[in-house]
Amino acid sequence: MTLQPLDIGHADYVAITDPATAFWALVRKDRLAETLAGGPLLDAYRERAADFARELHGLRFELKPSAVYVNPTERCNLDCTYCYIPRDMRRDGEHMAADRLLAALERLKAYFATTLPAGRKPRVIFHGAEPLTNREALFAAIDACRDDYTFGVQTNATLLDDAALAFLTGRGVSIGLSLDGPTADVTDATRLSFGGKSVHDKVLSAMDRLRGYDAWSVIATCTAKNLDQLVPLVELFHAREAPTCMLNAVRCTLPGARTVKPADAALAHAFIAAVERSHALFRASGRKLVVANFANILLAILAPTARRLMCDISPCGGGRAFFALAPDGGLFPCSEFIGLPQFEGGNLFRDSMEDVLASPAFAKVTGRDVDKFAPCSTCAIRHFCGSPCPAEAHEMNGGMEKIGAFCGFYEEQVRYALRLIADGKAGDFLWDGWDAGVETSFSVNLP
Amino acid sequence: MSHTAQPQQTQTTPATSQPTAQPAVIASRRRCDADGVGLSHYILMDRKPAR
Repeated sequence: MTLQPLDIGHADYVAITDPATAFWALVRKDRLAETLAGGPLLDAYRERAADFARELHGLRFELKPSAVYVNPTERCNLDCTYCYIPRDMRRDGEHMAADRLLAALERLKAYFATTLPAGRKPRVIFHGAEPLTNREALFAAIDACRDDYTFGVQTNATLLDDAALAFLTGRGVSIGLSLDGPTADVTDATRLSFGGKSVHDKVLSAMDRLRGYDAWSVIATCTAKNLDQLVPLVELFHAREAPTCMLNAVRCTLPGARTVKPADAALAHAFIAAVERSHALFRASGRKLVVANFANILLAILAPTARRLMCDISPCGGGRAFFALAPDGGLFPCSEFIGLPQFEGGNLFRDSMEDVLASPAFAKVTGRDVDKFAPCSTCAIRHFCGSPCPAEAHEMNGGMEKIGAFCGFYEEQVRYALRLIADGKAGDFLWDGWDAGVETSFSVNLP
Repeated sequence: MSHTAQPQQTQTTPATSQPTAQPAVIASRRRCDADGVGLSHYILMDRKPAR
């Protein structure tokens, strides 16, 4: 075992990690030398290190797909600065015909029957582009296959009228929205229609109508255009009773996104301020607004296998925990790759899923391993972060064996998460009941 | 998620609770069957916040 110290910026504690197993401990600074010299902590860890290594290996290399991100259309009615779908495709692209979508879900059902235990439904998330531009096909598929899948839809909310909302909520479909600012001028800086119209008020209307529905969330994309507005944005989400949000660093896969890329340090500062504000609101109101992408970093530390998001792990979930289906039947490791033809691993209507999953295009993503390239291979937190995202690494930084777009931001998130654990606050930032079905495998708390 | 392994504990104070005196060492790990499928463009709402 190789233990590495990590300064977490805490007054009293320093972290030590064994990156190979994602083991961590917080040690009071005045006891660090004594602890590293040997004793109960190292003895206990030595007994479990092989188990932790097996657990991490299973999580990183032995999962089978249980979800598919289905793009039922290439089209979108918005022209967001940072979209990972090419502009021409969004403006002039094709819909998937309703019968074709149904045929796709039937084929996928047969595949998932070979990977999932009996009784566990696979998940289909309709994604985009904007899935509600192909509403009739989408709703027909949900009704036809409601017993076969757990459904979700990520939408820009502009087409989420009362009838659509009633249809989706009536069937228990999870709904994700997108909003980048607390005011229209901030949202408009990155999210406008092709005609240049604001969509801010339509999203607020959808949020108001979703109030009280458990299964909805909202994503804000953090860019250079809204960093100073993340705190009021969290306040808006909380006031509108969003159960969950994500404050995602903009994915820099396509060049347009890089025009609004924030600096790591500025992003970390603004992001942590927003997460802290969400906590203050919880303390004041008793109602949580979970910042899911940060909660996932906490889970990566506290319970690696309990992660909900599969971006912050290496290899990422693309092409192994899930994959993406394009409207023409093309299969990609993740939606993030749909604008990159070299990452198409095959076609659902022509190829077997097994062949697609083993294709060179998929292997390029599923083979991206932070243990095997610098600087990640010597990083103390590489299995809390995973150096997302491979699409960014490939397109922005020149290859799969490069870091993602926000290395420094992830380091700061991990330090902050460890400070919260040291201060006994971590539970405040997680979903209620996150630990149902989760068991303790290691616990050392030395006076 | 279902249980998959027998826990081994040296002591049982959860790392996420704040004791009165600062412990010299805090270390914990928890486990379950892995079933996460979210990505940065979507989070499946199967974990609900406290009300």
